[in-house]
Amino acid sequence: MAKLGMDAHWRGAIVVSNALRDAGMEVVYLGHATADELVGAVSQEDPILVGLSTLSGNHLTECENVMKAFRNAGIDDVVVVVGGTIPKPDQERLRELGVAQIFGVGSPLTHIVSEIAELTA
Amino acid sequence: MTYTSSGIPLPSHLGPEKPGEFPFTRGIRERMYRERPWTIRQLAGFGTAQDTNARYRMLLDNGSTGINGVFDYPSLRAFGSDEARARGDVGRGGVAVDVRDDFDDLFKGIPLDQVSVSLVSSQPIGAVAHLAMFVRSAERQGFRRQSLAGTSQNDFLMETAITIAPEALPPQGSFRLACDLADFALRELPRWNPVSVSGYNYREAGADAVLEMALCLAHGQAIVTELIRRGHAPEAVLQRVSFFLNAHNDFFEEVAKYRALRRMWARWARQYTEDPRAQMFRYHVQTSGVTNAARHVHVNIARSALQGLAAVCGGTQSLHINGYDEAVCIPSEHAAMTALRTQYVLLHETGVAKTADPLGGSHLVEYLTDELEQRAAQTLQAIDAMGGIVSATEQGWVHAELARTAFEDQRRIEDGTQLVVGVNTHLEGDDEQPALFEIPDDTLDRQLARLDMVRARRGDTGHAIKEVAEACRTGQNVMPAVLRAVDADVTLGELGRTFRDELGRWEFPLW
Repeated sequence: MAKLGMDAHWRGAIVVSNALRDAGMEVVYLGHATADELVGAVSQEDPILVGLSTLSGNHLTECENVMKAFRNAGIDDVVVVVGGTIPKPDQERLRELGVAQIFGVGSPLTHIVSEIAELTA
Repeated sequence: MTYTSSGIPLPSHLGPEKPGEFPFTRGIRERMYRERPWTIRQLAGFGTAQDTNARYRMLLDNGSTGINGVFDYPSLRAFGSDEARARGDVGRGGVAVDVRDDFDDLFKGIPLDQVSVSLVSSQPIGAVAHLAMFVRSAERQGFRRQSLAGTSQNDFLMETAITIAPEALPPQGSFRLACDLADFALRELPRWNPVSVSGYNYREAGADAVLEMALCLAHGQAIVTELIRRGHAPEAVLQRVSFFLNAHNDFFEEVAKYRALRRMWARWARQYTEDPRAQMFRYHVQTSGVTNAARHVHVNIARSALQGLAAVCGGTQSLHINGYDEAVCIPSEHAAMTALRTQYVLLHETGVAKTADPLGGSHLVEYLTDELEQRAAQTLQAIDAMGGIVSATEQGWVHAELARTAFEDQRRIEDGTQLVVGVNTHLEGDDEQPALFEIPDDTLDRQLARLDMVRARRGDTGHAIKEVAEACRTGQNVMPAVLRAVDADVTLGELGRTFRDELGRWEFPLW
């Protein structure tokens, strides 16, 4: 789980991380990570899924950076999901970039946990 | 005489206890809003300084009575707009500022000796530099620094617990910068509130009303104590520390919260002074952003209006009402104007501003006021037992409490204990998408051009930066050196890096 760019909101990322851990998953919370730092962390931790969180409106710029860095580093087997303040039209753009699932404001934890369980099954 | 809509005469207050007297449970003025309406202070900030200046003017032209300026994340955290990790956030959650020239543009055409300016410089690392740039810019436009009225948010908890950022200062370093700013303002800016203790954001991050109160009191007390230790008269300090509170959903509890805080603060302040002006708990309120839903966004107008009603019934000095698109984007013009007009509905139409403390004496509100006071006092004691608020933050206690309450909040919504319209009940009807507000496409380019222009014109900055570093090391107040650095066109990002190098970088104890 990582925060993108300089977004300051930690509540969502931590609450979701807690819920995933409660559901028996292993979670590594990175705090803020640049695209390069994420490539490093993925290589080291070898996760099944990467969760990116942002509520500041930087999602298009930052997700494009991350997905490009993953491609350049040959990372193609990790599922990427994004959570935060993501307006509807931008959700389509993120999917085009290769983001598997988007959890907008108000997504219930039960929904997030079951979706992620399915994506990582 | 003032009357109800049916012609019944209304005194300025009812009941035995007088507002405007110690312990100020019922308000800080005897006649409250008859004497002075709350300041209508709508938050604004996006894009470059020029874009935000236009929004400030729109709000002032339409009845705002003060400026409430928010900065983007890189600017809040003193990163340069040109740094790799900052670029995606430039001009997004607020206005981008890098150099003094940005403050020239930001306040162009605004009479700074008449309109009070709240700089929502929430993190001390940015607040110190923003205030220096603001003061120098205002002076160059011919305003004397003694005439500048306003507030720096300047809250070390914002930097170290409530919000996160890469390479944050440790609590001690952040608290020290906050006090340096306050120390400078108390000496040089007689109309400036140098700290606005941000209970609003503690609440948004997950605190309940009790924790919001306790954190506010613990933080406010720490600031006052430190400034007195630095040699300021208690009366001078106490008259300048202000607060920023949330207006959440639970109407009566919120009204009681404001009342309880006023008397808790007054009783604490009384140990230092008998001067009533120095015992008053003064604050700004913002309606709660986290309570706003992304579905059926227009319903947020009702939520925010009711929260604003609680703020006014509680006796606030100043108010921001959120735009209905808060859960989706920064406010569009339509959302901002609707929020501004909602304030005037409260002031002119509802009649609630006619009588001070209109809910005082209600069994329910008096009961809640007493209960909140007791519970907040207990939490405050627990914080004191940990060595005070700075130490409690270093130990990760603040983070753990916020994470726990935030998680419980979400659980209550999901198990249906807390019903939220459009979220877990009354879901029928199409989802509405508001017209999304977008910042101008060329924001980053214009901001980078501004930085290039200033870098090209300036001379050597090495000496000015060294002086700031030196002040950090020796424990002198950093403000004089920062003002000289601003004159030498040292950028916000360069100042931020100097503070981080000298005061340290900290990992948030969140996980």
